[in-house]
Amino acid sequence: MVRWGELITSLLLLFLPMACSPSAKLSNAETQGQWLYDGHCAECHENPHPELRKQPPSLHRLFLAKSLPSGAPATDEQVSKTIIAGRGTMPAFDRRFREIDVKELVAYLHKLK
Amino acid sequence: MHSATPRSQFKALGTFALLLLLTVFVGCNRTRKYPLQGEVVAKNAATNEITVKHGDIPGFMPAMAMPYHVKDPAVVQELQPGDKIAAEGFVSKDGNDYWLEDVRITNDTGRSQAKTPVAPHMLIPGEPVPNVTLVNQDGRTIHLSDFAGQALLVTFIYTRCPMPNFCPRLSSQFAKIHDELKKNPGDYAKTHLLTISFDPKYDNPAVLRKYGLAYLDDDASGFAHWDFASTNPTDLAHLAQAFGLQYEEEGDQIAHNMSIVLIAPDGTVARFWTTDWTWTELMESMQQALHSRGQK
Repeated sequence: MVRWGELITSLLLLFLPMACSPSAKLSNAETQGQWLYDGHCAECHENPHPELRKQPPSLHRLFLAKSLPSGAPATDEQVSKTIIAGRGTMPAFDRRFREIDVKELVAYLHKLK
Repeated sequence: MHSATPRSQFKALGTFALLLLLTVFVGCNRTRKYPLQGEVVAKNAATNEITVKHGDIPGFMPAMAMPYHVKDPAVVQELQPGDKIAAEGFVSKDGNDYWLEDVRITNDTGRSQAKTPVAPHMLIPGEPVPNVTLVNQDGRTIHLSDFAGQALLVTFIYTRCPMPNFCPRLSSQFAKIHDELKKNPGDYAKTHLLTISFDPKYDNPAVLRKYGLAYLDDDASGFAHWDFASTNPTDLAHLAQAFGLQYEEEGDQIAHNMSIVLIAPDGTVARFWTTDWTWTELMESMQQALHSRGQK
């Protein structure tokens, strides 16, 4: 005999966290990207630095707008280019990131709300 | 060439001890520091000591030969009897310990260029800076001596630096100095900024130009006042030793300290900074250097 009450409660408990924060469930690639972001990007892009010549822009909801803070189109290709080559006072990360790292980082940036 | 006999050494030590006792008695009860120039007469690698024969140090001690402790074993290894050296001599508060720091070989053996000790040995203010060759953001060869007659502020970065409190902040603050000096044509003409990369493999002229333009708000005319340059690894190591810069590749990054040097119009070191500075202090020091000693 199926105990429906218990089944429904279990399912709710399983899926409720996802309902509360839809972006909490990241794919493997996005999780890797989050790790890269926390370790390499957050230091500049999450904290204001009053002494810096140019303030690093926030990267939250980056892909929700048509353009990036620089004015370039908000595409994966453009964001990847910026990460690799740097831009203005942002250093280049071509030595630091492999191609897969850039892909994972861009994947995570799509989820960064 | 050990010219001091044990007896004369004992006598010298005794004289020194007496003088020291007098000094201490008179109330000078702290670590004393004095510039020392002399000749190495002996060394003991096992105890990290060198015996130095030096001239009178006015008001402190007469000419004598005596042993000094040297912290860095690489320095003791490098030195040979007969070498002429300049150093900072230290005597401890209680007069029991005496040692040398910032030891520099001053005779022309060729060894001082080929095999200098690993630890950086900074120049003393007043000493002339080495005249190394650099290549700037325009691909043009420049020398430190090109800026004779100007107050020159030098620092070191690498363009790939991801630490906001290090190179990005340093360049941002240099940009503020540049902007402020630009307001006064007289000061602008007599000052210059020089940012040198310790990553010459990556930071070629094109990369340096792009980096410089970012801090000059895309105004290339600013390069006339602020050069971004790199040099070959040998000259870079030479500059690093002279200016107290330390850098080491760690994977894809370079671990480094901060070094800012003010060079007076006469080409001598005026002042050093590492971490404790503000951009206004740097700028004011440049302006002061224009109006004090060393101006041609």
